[in-house]
Amino acid sequence: MKKIAAILFAAFFAATIFLPLKSFAVENKIIFFWAEGCPHCAAENLFLEELVSKNPGLSVEKHEVSKNKENQQLLIDWSKRLNFDANGVPVTIIGQEYVLGYMDGITDSKIEGFLTSSADITSSGEVCIVNQPCGDEEKSNHKIKLPFFGEIETKNFSLPILSIVIGILDGFNPCAMWTLLFLISLLLGMKDRKRMWILGSVFIVASAAVYFVFMSAWLNLLLFIGLIATVRVIIGLVSLGGGIYSLKDFWANKEGGCKVSNNKKRKATFEKIKHIVHERNFLLALLGIIILAFAVNLVELICSAGLPAVYTQILTMSNLPTWQYYLYILLYVFFFMLDDLVIFFIAMFTLQLTGITTRYSRISRLVGGILMLAIGLILIFKPSWLMFG
Amino acid sequence: MKVLKFGAIWCPGCLIMKPMWQEIEKENSWLKNEYYDYDENRELAEKWQVNDTLPTFIFVDKDEKEIIRLQGERSKIELLKLIEENRDK
Repeated sequence: MKKIAAILFAAFFAATIFLPLKSFAVENKIIFFWAEGCPHCAAENLFLEELVSKNPGLSVEKHEVSKNKENQQLLIDWSKRLNFDANGVPVTIIGQEYVLGYMDGITDSKIEGFLTSSADITSSGEVCIVNQPCGDEEKSNHKIKLPFFGEIETKNFSLPILSIVIGILDGFNPCAMWTLLFLISLLLGMKDRKRMWILGSVFIVASAAVYFVFMSAWLNLLLFIGLIATVRVIIGLVSLGGGIYSLKDFWANKEGGCKVSNNKKRKATFEKIKHIVHERNFLLALLGIIILAFAVNLVELICSAGLPAVYTQILTMSNLPTWQYYLYILLYVFFFMLDDLVIFFIAMFTLQLTGITTRYSRISRLVGGILMLAIGLILIFKPSWLMFG
Repeated sequence: MKVLKFGAIWCPGCLIMKPMWQEIEKENSWLKNEYYDYDENRELAEKWQVNDTLPTFIFVDKDEKEIIRLQGERSKIELLKLIEENRDK
């Protein structure tokens, strides 16, 4: 019993000796800016909670910036005061020092070191220090070696590959395809090959432009709103709904046929296309084709089951430079239009109208459905997995 | 036996089936068949109750009674087998 009491006393004595070394004599308040869905913020938050539990004298003032405009302004004020770029989170401010980004094992020990000894956290030159976001260091941990290509960073390829895959899947959606097929069938009946090429190409380019404009507008709306969790969850739900719809269609339409609908608008559109193609005035025909492409594609956008909306949400979360947003949308639109381009060029060179077998449409329904279900779940529960920036 | 084929210019599946049927017809010159564009022959489509999926292929006997109905894209082997089985009807 005496031995136990002696051990306990020794432990208590040792604790009282060493604890002061861990207490925060210099600063006792940390200002922590974070955003919902940010993995680095979540990791730092855990560290800070642990730090506070070990040191009751320390307090952490937390400011969420993705949903709260006042907090965003507060971060901007701090960035001006301490002279740093407030583009990313987490941002940690201790006294008059700041840390951008977070990395386990590096940033945490620096913060602790700074709090106990007031060491200069900006001077060590290690990863995750001031003006060096954590994401950059993380990239170096995700390199793979490929034959012919050498060493590539996987993170740099994730978003382009996702853009191509979603673009192709969206392109197989047959909704707007019927207009192109009908247009080509009429163009093939014409003797003027130059007119055939111009009218067909203009229709495809105008269709792509509508998609680009729509996706850019949607992207800007999402960027304007900011990374609001509610919007992300709603788009996640749209993705889940689109995924279920695609899988249902895959299951129900086993024969891979074209659904017939007594669509009066379709018949009216046929008449308009006939009228435009046979318009003698070439400029009027050209204008008619452009208007038709805009009208048809806007109406048929709803048919895409939310894929463009889901994709632009992922772009928004990736926090890219402005020009890259538009470049990615261009990449998406190019692959979205690829099947149309293939059909058009085959028809123009062979003078035969071909279709892409509906079996591929079915496969795209299956793959697209699974992908949309997965993206929907990730957007709702693990959004950080879709942050590529 | 005769085959009624219903398709549409806007339907990719119909475009895929078109050259396949041309081959079958060439190989079986005795086979009677009629093609109807869905949009241009709505009354006939309604008469044969083609109101769900295109392409639709209806095999009819000498009395114009329906024997078999196929929808969507089908394989050449399947079509040839059905044609052979129903040749004398």
